[in-house]
Amino acid sequence: MIKIHDLEKIYRTEEVETIALNKLSFQVNEGEFVAVMGPSGCGKSTLLNILGLLDDPDSGSFLFNGIEVAGFNERKRADLRKRNIGFVFQSFNLIDELTVFENVELPLIYLGVKSDERKKRVEEMLDKMQIMHRRNHYPQQLSGGQQQRVAVARAVVNKPKLILADEPTGNLDSSNGNEVMELLTDLNEQGTTIIMVTHSEHDARYSHRIIRMLDGQTVTENILV
Amino acid sequence: MIKNYFKIAFRNLWRHRVFSLINILGLTVGMTACFLIFLYVRFELSYDKFHSKGDRIYRIVCDIKTPTETMHPGGPSWAVGPHLMGGFPQVEAAVRTTDDELLVRKGNVKFQEKNSLWADSSFFQVFDFKLIKGNPKTALNEPLSIVFSESAVKKYFGDKDPIGQTVLLTGDGFTAKITGVMKDIPENSMIKADMIVSMNTLTRKLNPGLDDQWGNYGNRTYVLLRPGANAAAFEKQIPAFLEKMNGTEMKQLNMYPTLILEKFKDAYLRSDRNDSNSGSIKNVYIFSIIAVFILLIACFNFINLTTARSAERAKEVGIRKVVGAGKQQLTRQFIGESVLICMIAFILTIAVAALLLPSFNQLAGKTLSRGVFDNMNFIGILFLASIGIGVLAGIYPALVLSSFKPVTVLKGRFTTGTKGILLRKGLVISQFTISITLIIATIIVYLQMNFMRNQDLGFNKDQMMVINSNGDPARDAFMHAVSSLPNVKSVSMSSSVPGGGNMGAYSKIQNVKGDMQIANLDLYFVDFDYLKQFDIKMAAGRSFSRDFMTDTTHAMILNEAAVKMFGYRSPMDAVGRDFNQWGREGKIIGVMKDFHFKSLQEVIKPLSMRIEPNGCSLISIKVSGNNLPGTISSIENKWNTLIPARPFSYFFLDEYFDKQYKSEQRFGKLFLNFAILAIIISCLGLLGLASYSTMQRTREIGIRKVLGASVGNIVNLLSKDFLRLVGIAVIIASPIAYFSMHKWLLDFAYRIPISWWIFVTAAVTATLIAIITVSFQAIKAAVSNPVKSLRTE
Repeated sequence: MIKIHDLEKIYRTEEVETIALNKLSFQVNEGEFVAVMGPSGCGKSTLLNILGLLDDPDSGSFLFNGIEVAGFNERKRADLRKRNIGFVFQSFNLIDELTVFENVELPLIYLGVKSDERKKRVEEMLDKMQIMHRRNHYPQQLSGGQQQRVAVARAVVNKPKLILADEPTGNLDSSNGNEVMELLTDLNEQGTTIIMVTHSEHDARYSHRIIRMLDGQTVTENILV
Repeated sequence: MIKNYFKIAFRNLWRHRVFSLINILGLTVGMTACFLIFLYVRFELSYDKFHSKGDRIYRIVCDIKTPTETMHPGGPSWAVGPHLMGGFPQVEAAVRTTDDELLVRKGNVKFQEKNSLWADSSFFQVFDFKLIKGNPKTALNEPLSIVFSESAVKKYFGDKDPIGQTVLLTGDGFTAKITGVMKDIPENSMIKADMIVSMNTLTRKLNPGLDDQWGNYGNRTYVLLRPGANAAAFEKQIPAFLEKMNGTEMKQLNMYPTLILEKFKDAYLRSDRNDSNSGSIKNVYIFSIIAVFILLIACFNFINLTTARSAERAKEVGIRKVVGAGKQQLTRQFIGESVLICMIAFILTIAVAALLLPSFNQLAGKTLSRGVFDNMNFIGILFLASIGIGVLAGIYPALVLSSFKPVTVLKGRFTTGTKGILLRKGLVISQFTISITLIIATIIVYLQMNFMRNQDLGFNKDQMMVINSNGDPARDAFMHAVSSLPNVKSVSMSSSVPGGGNMGAYSKIQNVKGDMQIANLDLYFVDFDYLKQFDIKMAAGRSFSRDFMTDTTHAMILNEAAVKMFGYRSPMDAVGRDFNQWGREGKIIGVMKDFHFKSLQEVIKPLSMRIEPNGCSLISIKVSGNNLPGTISSIENKWNTLIPARPFSYFFLDEYFDKQYKSEQRFGKLFLNFAILAIIISCLGLLGLASYSTMQRTREIGIRKVLGASVGNIVNLLSKDFLRLVGIAVIIASPIAYFSMHKWLLDFAYRIPISWWIFVTAAVTATLIAIITVSFQAIKAAVSNPVKSLRTE
C-alpha cells in the first residue's frame, strides 16, 4: 500500500541544516499494523507528516496505492488525504467550539456526504466507540480517554484505508491508553492499515512490525507476529 | 456545511465575547456615523432636484462693475425678467420672486409671515410646487391674488375651503383673494414660502413702472429655457441686450451689470451668491470624507483584531485541514464569519440610527429624514455595503488563516509573522492619524467660533432688544412711550442693525484728488442717538447732533474703510468733503471707527450713515439686566396699546448677530461629534489590540515578574510600543491638519492663528487616551499572579 524509496527531507534555517529524513526506504502492506519508534528528533514525526500528505519530501519516491504522490500539489494532496487517511494525535486536536457529534461529523461534511447519511454514520461510530451518551458535549467536558476515543471516531468515520497515529496514548493514563490501543487493534483486524509513531514499547507490542529509526534512517525492523 | 460555519462562528463570537463586542461595537458606531452622514449628504444633494424641468431652469445672478469695485446685488434689476421673455425666443418663461415678511390678518387671526413671497404668474409653470386647489396657470395672474400653503390654510381657515376668501395684508393696507392652495414646500427647497402674492400686485398696483426699472437691482430672477436651448450661447447674447435696453443709463451712472446664468438645481450647494440658508458643497465633501474615514477606522479595527487573533484560530485551521478542508473552503468560512459580524452590526446600526435620528435632525437643524425606514433603498444599500465590508475586512484575515500549514500549527510551533505585526501597526497609525487630525480640526473650529463670538466688534450688542415696526405710523409714539419705562436705558431707530442686511446706495463721494468718485456704499439710515446707543466710536469729526439743523438732510458719516477707499490717509482729511447720494447732497461731518456690521467672515466694507427717519423701521431698545421679563412685558403692553394691528415680536441683538454663525456652529458641533466617534472607535481598536498583545505575552510577563520586574516595569513594557505608534501618528497628522485647517480658515476674513499649542494639546490628548486605554489592560496583566500565568503554557 505504501512504498517509499530514498525519501529525503532537510530543514534549513540560515545557519543550521537538519536532515530529518536521510534516504529512507520501506514498505507497508495493506492490512498491516506498523509501529515506528526512535528517540526524539529521529525524524518520526516528519515521516508521519509526509505519509499523511501534510508535508512534502525534498526528494525520493512515495507510492501511495501505486500512485506516485511525491510531487502532488496541495489541492491534490488534500483530496487524496480526505478520502484515504485518518489521523489520531497525541493531543487529540478536537475543535473546542464543536460538540462531540459535530467533531466526528466534520470529515464527512468536507467529503460532501448528505446530512441524513452523515447522521447515521456518525451515530454508528459513536455507538461503536461507546461515547454516544456524550454526543452533545464539548471536548473540554470529556476525560482524556473519551477525547481520544472521539478523535479516533473522527479519524475512522469516513472509512479511511490508512490510519496514522502520532503517539495516540501519550496524554493518557495506562488504562485509557490500553483502551485506545484495543480500539486500534480492532480497526486493524477489520482491515484498516495503521502506522503508529510511539515511544512506548508497551504500545508497540500491539503492532505486527516495529520500525526503529535513528537520525532519519531505519536501523532495524522487528517483526512481531 | 454553511450550518456548520454559522455554528462555529456564533460559538466563537460567544466564547470571545470581549473581542466580539469590540468588533461589533466598533463597526456599529462606524456604520451608524456613516449612515447618518449619508442621510445628511443625500439631503443636501437633494435640494431643488424635484423640479421636472430642473435641467432647464436657471437662476440669473448679477455683478455690477463700477469704477471702484464689483458689486454683487441679490439679483438683476426688475426690468430684466419681463424683458427677457419678449427679447429671446429660447426663453420659455421667466419668474421674479422677492422675499418679504407680510403682516397677514383674517378676522382676529394675524401673523407676521416670515416666509412670504412675491412671484410672477409663471411661478407654477417653472417650478413643480403642486397646487391642490386652484389653477396653476392662472392662480397668480391677477393683482391681489394670493396662494396659501396647506399649513397656512390650517392656520387661518382651519378646515374650511379658503378658495375665494380674502385676507388683509400689510397692516390692512390691501385685501388679497385666495386663488390657490399649494402643498407645503418641501424642506429641501431653496425657495421657501408659506404664501405667495402675485407679483403684479406690486408692479401694477403698489409700485407701477417697476417692470421697466433697469437701475433697481436685487430681486431673484429665474428663467426656464426651451428644450434644447443652449444656456451658454444665451448668456453670451445678454450683454448686447442690456446695452440695447439700458445702455445710456449704464454709461450715465457708470455702472455696468453682467448677468450670469446659474443652473438652478446646483445653486444651493455650488453658487457663491448664497446666504446663510444655503448649503456648501465643501461641507458635503468634508462630511463625506469624515464618513469614509470613520468607516475605514472601524474596518481597520476589524482587520486588526481578526488577524491578531489568528493564532488562536490556528489550531482549528490545522484540524480542519487535516480532516479534509481545502484552502478555499476555509477562506469562505472566515469571510462568512466576518460577514456575519457585519450583519449583526448592520442590524444594530439600524436600531441605533433610529434612536439617534431625532437628535441628529436637531443637530443638523433640519428634518433630514423622518424615520430610518423612510429610506428603504438606502437601507438596502447599507445592507449590501455591510456585506461588502464584511468581505473586504474579512478577506485578509481569511487568506492569512487559511494558508496556515497544518503541520506547524498543530505542533504548536506557530508564531504570528512579522508581516502581520507590521500591518497591524500600520493600521493603528492610520487610525490615530485620522483621529488626531480630527482632534486638531475640532480644536481649531472651536477656537475660531469662540474668537468670532468674543471678538471686539466695535459696537455694543449686549442687552439690546430690537423690534421691527415695519414702518408703522405709530412708531414714534411707541418709542416715546418705551423710553420712559424704568428699565429702558435708551431707544434709537435705524434702517439696519449689525448682523442684518442693509441697503447699498449708488453714491458719489469727493475723493482725495477732489473728484466725485462713484461707489456703491453700504448705507444705514439712523437717528441722532444711534451711534451713542451702539457705542460706536468716532475717529474724526463729529457725530450727528440735534444742534445742527442741516444734519437731517445734508450730513453723512463714513467709516474708516470708506475713507480709505476714497484715498484719504487719515480720517480727519475726509471731514468736510462733499457727498451726493440718492438725491441728497451735503458734507461728510465725521468718520466713525470701523465696526463689524457683517459677520467676521467678511472684511469690514465701506459704510455710510445718514439721518432719514422715514427709512428707519427697526427700533433698538437698550434695557438694563434687572427684571428682564418684566421689562419685556411692559414693552409689549405699550406695543399692544399703540400698534395693536401688528403682532409683537422682538429679538436680542447678540443672539441675532451670532445667528450668522449658525451654519458654522452647526458644522462645528457635527464635526466635534464625529471626531469623538472616530476617537472612540480607534480606542476600541487599541483596547482590543492591547488586550490581545498582553494576553500573548502572559508567559513573558510571568517570567519577568518572577525575575523581579515591578508593576510599573510591566506597564511601561506593554504601553511603550503603542505609544510609539501614537507618536508617529501625531507626526503624520500635524501637517495634514495644518494645511487643511489653514485652508478652512481662509474663508474667514478675521481668523485665529494656528498656534503650536493646538498640536501639543491634540498630541497630549491622544496620548493620554491611548495610555488610559492600554494601561487598563497592562495593569491587569502586571498585577496578576505569575504562577497562574506561567501555568497556562
